[in-house]
Amino acid sequence: MKKNHKMTDKMMIPRYIILTLGLLIMIVPMLYMVLSSLKDNDKTFIYPPVLFPSLSELSLNNYQYILENVTFFRYLGNTLFVAIMTVLIAIVVSTTLAYSFARLDIPGKKIVFGFIISVMLLPGLAMIIPQFELAARMKLINNIWGVILFYAAWVTPFSTFLLKGYIEDNVPKEMDESIFIDGGSIFSVYRYIIIPIASPAVAAISISNFLYPFEELGWSQQILKLDELRTLPVAITMFFQAHSRTDWGYVFAMTTLAMIPVIAFYLLLQKYFISGMTSGAIKG
Amino acid sequence: MFKKLLVVSLFLFTSLVLIGCTDKTGEAITLEFWHNYSASDGQVAVLETLIDEFEAENENVTIHPVYMEWQALKDSVALGANTGVLPDILRGDIAFVPQFQSLNVLLKVSDFDDYETAAAKVLTAPNSSNKMGTDYYGIASNTNTKILFYNKTLLQNAGVSVPTTLDQVWTASQTLTTGGKIGYVEPWTGIWNVGPYIWSNGGDVLAPDYSTATGYINSSIVVDVITTLKNLYAAGALAGPSMDPGAVGDTDGWASGLYAMQLDGPWRAASNNAANVNYEAIPLPAGSAGSVSVLGGENFMLFKTSAVAKQEAAWEFVKFMTDKHAQVEMAKVGQMPVNIEALADAEAIAAMPLLPVFATALATAKARPVIASWSEIENVIATKVALAITGQKDVQVAMDECATEINAILAD
Amino acid sequence: MITIADKIIKKTKRRLDWRALVIFLPGFLFVFIFTFYPMAKMLVMSFFDWKIGFNQVSPFVGFKNYIDVLSDPIARLSIVNTFAYAFVTVPLQIVIGLLVAVLINGIVKGSVGFRLGYYFPVISSWVVVALLFRYIFSNFGLLNYFLVDILHLSSEPIGWLSSRWSALFAAMMLGVWKGVGWNMVVFLAALQAVPKDQYEAADIDGANRIQKFFMITLPNIRGTMLFVIIMLSIGAFNTYTPITVLTGGNPAHQTEVVLTWMYFKTFNAFKMGYSAAFSVIVAIIIILITITLFSLSKWKRRD
Repeated sequence: MKKNHKMTDKMMIPRYIILTLGLLIMIVPMLYMVLSSLKDNDKTFIYPPVLFPSLSELSLNNYQYILENVTFFRYLGNTLFVAIMTVLIAIVVSTTLAYSFARLDIPGKKIVFGFIISVMLLPGLAMIIPQFELAARMKLINNIWGVILFYAAWVTPFSTFLLKGYIEDNVPKEMDESIFIDGGSIFSVYRYIIIPIASPAVAAISISNFLYPFEELGWSQQILKLDELRTLPVAITMFFQAHSRTDWGYVFAMTTLAMIPVIAFYLLLQKYFISGMTSGAIKG
Repeated sequence: MFKKLLVVSLFLFTSLVLIGCTDKTGEAITLEFWHNYSASDGQVAVLETLIDEFEAENENVTIHPVYMEWQALKDSVALGANTGVLPDILRGDIAFVPQFQSLNVLLKVSDFDDYETAAAKVLTAPNSSNKMGTDYYGIASNTNTKILFYNKTLLQNAGVSVPTTLDQVWTASQTLTTGGKIGYVEPWTGIWNVGPYIWSNGGDVLAPDYSTATGYINSSIVVDVITTLKNLYAAGALAGPSMDPGAVGDTDGWASGLYAMQLDGPWRAASNNAANVNYEAIPLPAGSAGSVSVLGGENFMLFKTSAVAKQEAAWEFVKFMTDKHAQVEMAKVGQMPVNIEALADAEAIAAMPLLPVFATALATAKARPVIASWSEIENVIATKVALAITGQKDVQVAMDECATEINAILAD
Repeated sequence: MITIADKIIKKTKRRLDWRALVIFLPGFLFVFIFTFYPMAKMLVMSFFDWKIGFNQVSPFVGFKNYIDVLSDPIARLSIVNTFAYAFVTVPLQIVIGLLVAVLINGIVKGSVGFRLGYYFPVISSWVVVALLFRYIFSNFGLLNYFLVDILHLSSEPIGWLSSRWSALFAAMMLGVWKGVGWNMVVFLAALQAVPKDQYEAADIDGANRIQKFFMITLPNIRGTMLFVIIMLSIGAFNTYTPITVLTGGNPAHQTEVVLTWMYFKTFNAFKMGYSAAFSVIVAIIIILITITLFSLSKWKRRD
């Protein structure tokens, strides 16, 4: 009956029209980026603008140049490694913390949770001086873990916050208790109840955590000064700056390539994404 | 699904962790060298060749060059100063010396026995940017100053002859602003930019003993210069991203033939050559007090946080880089030598057609004040001058405020 | 009456202690070392004329940094600009994001494609899209091309980035464009959690689409709305790249936002104590906003 209702909906066509128009606005800049990556360096920011370049103008020269002259795959490998490690550490830290905050009997846990929330509220920039000092003391300069550990720490508050809400909403206490009755410990609850049920939320946080190293610039640039350790955003920015800020075609080619793993990761997890975000609500 | 992800990542982990954690330690000396040589002008390639040559002569030394942009160099030194996460050698803007010295990180290189010998080989004026008190905290790497570049085609099309006085530069800018072209471009409004116009008309920024700005930055000479620029801006004959963030950047604007004239350094020749611009350059046409451009360039700095053995090896490298051979090689890719022999070298002159023009301008170029708070002071000036030029503040009022704020910084 | 099950649960719970610590402590220590400790240190720094140099002594200055921030006209301007940015981008993102979510929720085919398409800006690089927006809004850019050469709405190019408010407007548009996709995802999740029987009951009552939206959908997603407003406000106060790339704070620092000015003070003036104090002030502002929003939503629910 519900299906019937939807099929006969008169609003269906207007919906598609509005959504498609909106989609155009959303993807035109991306399209322009991809097209520019196929054009000569000096054809990007010209006036009058060329919206629809002729096919003869397009070539894969920029990509060829990048793959031949820039150690792109090294940077990509570094970034993927950082991304995956960040995601994994954030999963471990935020699931255990979220479970603790949601369920376990730990003295002062509300205060700790409050601190974690306040980390989210604080503009991170001014913390860079003490954090860099910490990284230096821990011998994490020019060490890829100097980036991973701090990224994981920065994404943890939001991930924990979201997971805590998800566990409280979606995991009935009775399930914990049934494990206890069967003689299981809280380890079993964590392993067999919390993790499986919370996996959509874990997927949701992982998508944005995965994105982080593909986006973050300042910290990575400071920690990883050696070229062979650099992550993609730093490598792209450095390339841009070292080439007098005019080699747009190359920059866009690199950026387009860099987006592929992020889109792939999103597509891989996207079916969990929406359901995982349901905990994004505050009980006022 | 998560198991799959886990297996994949564990695989990646084991294969990549080796990359991440390798620590290079050995008996040999490895020097970290932060620099901002440009890659597109071929400077990085020349640097690598020079490093190879140096390493062949000094087998126990390995130089590890790290490129960083101007701002990144500054950020990195600021962040690393406290914990000594610093390079062994840095090649950066002459204006960095007083600022880095205020962070207590620079090595007093005049303590090396042969500093005077090395310094005698380079031009005195550029090297004076390393001098604080009676000590030197670096040695000049290369020098530059700004000369007036003009687009020959645009001048011909507008029927404008090459200006011979500063006033003619401004009238020419007005005339050249026609048919969608813009006569003059000035990317920033600091002393690096407006200083030459002020000095060429007999004005100055601070008192010679750096005690006050009153009577200098707000003098009638400065007010007149800024008012001229303000009128040009109002007429659309002066553009620049710091006055108008929507303006086309200078490099892009030169390449597309939008801008007709600019007072700029040797890199403008490089970028114009790359973009096939039909250009020529002359020393800044004289104002009422002559032609006084601004002294720029880069210095080599060493760090007191390095081990002594590293400091000595670094000093050897710096001497190598300021010696004739390295300076001539760098001249071929657009770096104006400071080495006196290199300046007279036929190869260097042949590689830089504009070298005589720059040499003329250098003879009268003026250095910006060598004080730790200079960056802060120049920011105040840039802000007030931008407000005045864009007509948001009366010129005299803006410059008076400027003097008051600078005096407060000087007193701090 | 205590059942056997209750007894076992109680007994297990009592035995939990060390296990709970095993679960809690590693994560807590991790967060403590990498964020709590630097945060505390930053708080300390805000009361010193903090020297970032090598082997330098930092004198204690009490609240001087706080006074410096509050009496600095550019800092105040940057706070006003940031508030303006938040006031425009937060509601716009919510309205557009919610609209897109409602529309996508109502279609049968192609929702995965639309979801990916609208999510594209979220996963694109800030720096690159900011460069593209600079090109769109620059004097000789895409927008002026349409207005002047195609539509003839203006005889001269408009200086979008040339003055404070129009440049901030460009930055706001960038922020909205990049943020809509995230809002869509969060609202889609919320919409799918709204009980279907409520809509069916309203259908029986003959309610129209708009009535159903305001009577059923909105009240059901109120919690999400609050969450989104808070998250977006935090995001707005952390805006950095759009301003750096579009204007660099120019002309004359008039488009400076909180973070760009903090960056300037930290790395160009080396005023670390000032930046730390500024951070604390901004955090207090955000906390106040959050508390206000919370109490507003509670107060509204009571009637």
